[in-house]
Amino acid sequence: MNNPSSNRWTLARVHNRARGLARLSPTATAGVIIILFFGILALFSNLFMPHDPVASYTDRILQPPSADHWFGTDGNGMDVFSRVIYGAKFGFGIAIPAVLISLVIGVPVGLIAGYRGGILDEVLMRIFDGLRVFPSIILALAVVAATGQSLLNVVLVLGFLDSPVFARLVRSEVLSLRSSIFVESAIAAGNPTWRILFLHLLPNSIEGAMAQTAVRAAWAVRISATLAFLGVGIQAPTPEWGAMIRQGTEFMITGQWWVAIFPGVALIFLVFGLNLFGDGLQDILDPRRRTSK
Amino acid sequence: MSLLSVQELQTHFIYRDIDYQFREAKALNKVTLSLNAGEVLGIVGETGAGKSLTAQSICGLLRPPAQIVGGSVMFDGKELLSLSEDEINAIRGADIAMVVQNPRSSLDPLTQIGKQLVRVHQTHSGGTILESRQKALDMMRAVGIPDPLGRFNAWPHELSGGMAQRVLIAMALMNEPKLLIADEPTTGLDVTVQAQILDLLEDLVNQFDMACMIITHDLGIVAHYCDQVAVMFAGEIVEQGPTKRVFQTPAHPYTQQLLAATPERLQMGIRSQLGGQPPDLFNLPTGCLSQDRCPKSTKKCETPPPMIDVSSGHLARCHFAESDNKAGSKGGD
Amino acid sequence: MVTDVVLSATNLTKRFPTGRSGNFVNAVNGVDLCIRRGEVLGMVGESGSGKSTIGRTILRLTDPSEGQITFDGRDITNLPAKTIRPLRKDMQMVFQDPWSALNPRMKIGDLIAEPLRIHFNMSRSECADRTEILAKRVSLSIDFLNRTPSALSGGQLQRVCIARAIATNPKLIVLDEPTSSLDLSVRAGILELLQELRVETEAGFLFISHDLGTIKLISDRIAVLYLGRIVEEVPKSKLFSDPSHPYTQSLLSAHLPSDPNEKIERLPLEGEIPSPINLPTGCSFHTRCPLAINECKSKPPSPEQISAGHMASCLRIRDGKNIISREIK
Repeated sequence: MNNPSSNRWTLARVHNRARGLARLSPTATAGVIIILFFGILALFSNLFMPHDPVASYTDRILQPPSADHWFGTDGNGMDVFSRVIYGAKFGFGIAIPAVLISLVIGVPVGLIAGYRGGILDEVLMRIFDGLRVFPSIILALAVVAATGQSLLNVVLVLGFLDSPVFARLVRSEVLSLRSSIFVESAIAAGNPTWRILFLHLLPNSIEGAMAQTAVRAAWAVRISATLAFLGVGIQAPTPEWGAMIRQGTEFMITGQWWVAIFPGVALIFLVFGLNLFGDGLQDILDPRRRTSK
Repeated sequence: MSLLSVQELQTHFIYRDIDYQFREAKALNKVTLSLNAGEVLGIVGETGAGKSLTAQSICGLLRPPAQIVGGSVMFDGKELLSLSEDEINAIRGADIAMVVQNPRSSLDPLTQIGKQLVRVHQTHSGGTILESRQKALDMMRAVGIPDPLGRFNAWPHELSGGMAQRVLIAMALMNEPKLLIADEPTTGLDVTVQAQILDLLEDLVNQFDMACMIITHDLGIVAHYCDQVAVMFAGEIVEQGPTKRVFQTPAHPYTQQLLAATPERLQMGIRSQLGGQPPDLFNLPTGCLSQDRCPKSTKKCETPPPMIDVSSGHLARCHFAESDNKAGSKGGD
Repeated sequence: MVTDVVLSATNLTKRFPTGRSGNFVNAVNGVDLCIRRGEVLGMVGESGSGKSTIGRTILRLTDPSEGQITFDGRDITNLPAKTIRPLRKDMQMVFQDPWSALNPRMKIGDLIAEPLRIHFNMSRSECADRTEILAKRVSLSIDFLNRTPSALSGGQLQRVCIARAIATNPKLIVLDEPTSSLDLSVRAGILELLQELRVETEAGFLFISHDLGTIKLISDRIAVLYLGRIVEEVPKSKLFSDPSHPYTQSLLSAHLPSDPNEKIERLPLEGEIPSPINLPTGCSFHTRCPLAINECKSKPPSPEQISAGHMASCLRIRDGKNIISREIK
């Protein structure tokens, strides 16, 4: 057990580690499977799409699911199945950058606020509290309306709006870590503040934030779909699930349920999978950390 | 017949690790010891030797992945390992009581200490609350808590470490146990308080004619408060016997190393052959468990060493035990 | 001979606010000490004695409430953190609990090399050689340099901490209970290592411990602390044979030697250590001292010279009544 030689990652070991983790958290495993499923769809959509997602078959408008169009066609005669698959790209394409932006903004703020404390901490936290309290949809609507309809704006807004979550998580870890012995030891060794923040505190306080990324990604997916549903950011005929649902609601009343339901189900599943993974991550990270001496 | 007789107790930790592999740590390896009323046995060893685990195994306090895989624990004529959960609950706290280290974390922080004492008494001995209350006050007096009536309603966080430990001892004694197990009872307490607590334990053992097991890593405590000593390493008892004899003429190399490592005996400037890797409980060698770190080990040590009778009551588990101890050895194999 | 005092402190005092308005924890109350090159000053005391606080304060890890600290001839009492930081290459600390003293996410090699990178601006590759030398010096296998702390045992981790502390050849090393969390057989190895280092480096050592046996083994001089004051300062040879202060005597009597044949002489000491929030008046020990007289309640004793290098603060030394009569156990 005290063998000083370093670990080697063979294929067998990777396989066993996967099994071990799966046993530790079935929730996370289920989540990973769902995320991977959509991830593959997003990356290799070309392989799975029977039709061009924006090809409009004017002779086949609002057709119910059939052999040719598994999920039917929408109001523009486009194949819903292909559009749902293509829409996965937007899920990830929005969620990943948004979460990254949240991390890039939130983590340093949390580090500095937690370590320095005092006025800086108070001011930063009050600003961030304000952000959190504000209904995000309204804020996003306002910002996008002011700056223009584009995907980039949506991503930036979402990233900014969600950064308080990560700032808070990192800050609370830092608050308890800053009086720990290894930080004192780092100070005693003569470390300047920036080294303490980024080499000592950051690696040890990021775990909680990391565990939250999946859950926040789920939020980003949901909110971006909602914004698209409200007509913000993404325009038809872009095959994004929220926009598709928007178009589909008109037809629900007249009985063409497939236009809205299929993208809706896809959305639910991806969000569900991300949330499962985020929950399960707690199982994996927490008890394993409790090593007894 | 001894009050407590542990025979060949084996406790293993069995679980699947993060790499999905089965792991089995042999934490206790055929531990055998016995204890009579009025006797104080000191169990001494370093971290991971299995001292606390022995106590927990005896009391039925093991939680998965730890499980007892062999052996027997006879207490007062009953086989503890075959009792049901309810039966052992009835014994624990009443006939066998345990005192642990970190007293303040062992007390219920939300209940006043007097109530906790009453609760322990009510659980096992019944009777009226008034009787329990009176017993609690008597016990508090017996353990040296000043002003028991005034302190009856104190909260655990109001107590100092020494006071809290006295309360724990009082709690342990409420039901007049036959066996008291004290697991590192004074670790973390100041040296002057430690002396008071140990003197108290000694008085109480005499007063109530209890059997007492003190688990510690401090050889000084064993030297002055224990009649018998058992030295543990890698989950087995490597040497046991009357304290004076074992400390004066240790027969097992590990005991010799341990005694040589005490500050009194360490001679600065001489590089000693002490320490080494802690034993890997997942990969114990066949034969003597100390062979990898023992200065005397030879090929012979690959076979399990017998427990050699060095002199009456003094036993050591080492192939070379007999030849080392010239005084009073009785031969035998 | 040129003065070789590495560190001296006069009237060192530290009070911590408790949160309850107006109340303070009086951790250190007017301590004078000095540490010379090549010597080990041992500090022994129980809880509330302030020994750890003294260690931290002289390294300016906390700021003193009163008093003066002089390091290597320079007054560092009020220097701002920025100015102190470069001085830290000459004053280092080894902490009690090696498991918590090291960043769990950093590699051992980086942890040892850290002081070198900070103070000498050495690059990674330059550090690598020196790190190996340091690891070998503390008898740590270089295979461990690529692992994280969780892979090492307590004794090995403490060696890492020591390697880290000596990396920049400091003039002063404070060790706060460096062996108290370690197993007995491991302790011996660490103490031997420290003994070797002390001869090699000629640094001044402050060794803090609650264990009298360990302190006597490694120290040249020993300061006994009670409630934030030094009650006795004694050369190693006289600690067990000639303790002058009543507290030192009771501390010694409570010490349990590992030889069962050594008789313990139990001294009648009642009660527990008073809280540092409410320091007793006069001599802090009077509430428990079997030799206390009325004067002890009002007049704090000043140090009395007993012999060369041996002093104790007790009013009863003057009338020769500072030795407690013993009851044999």
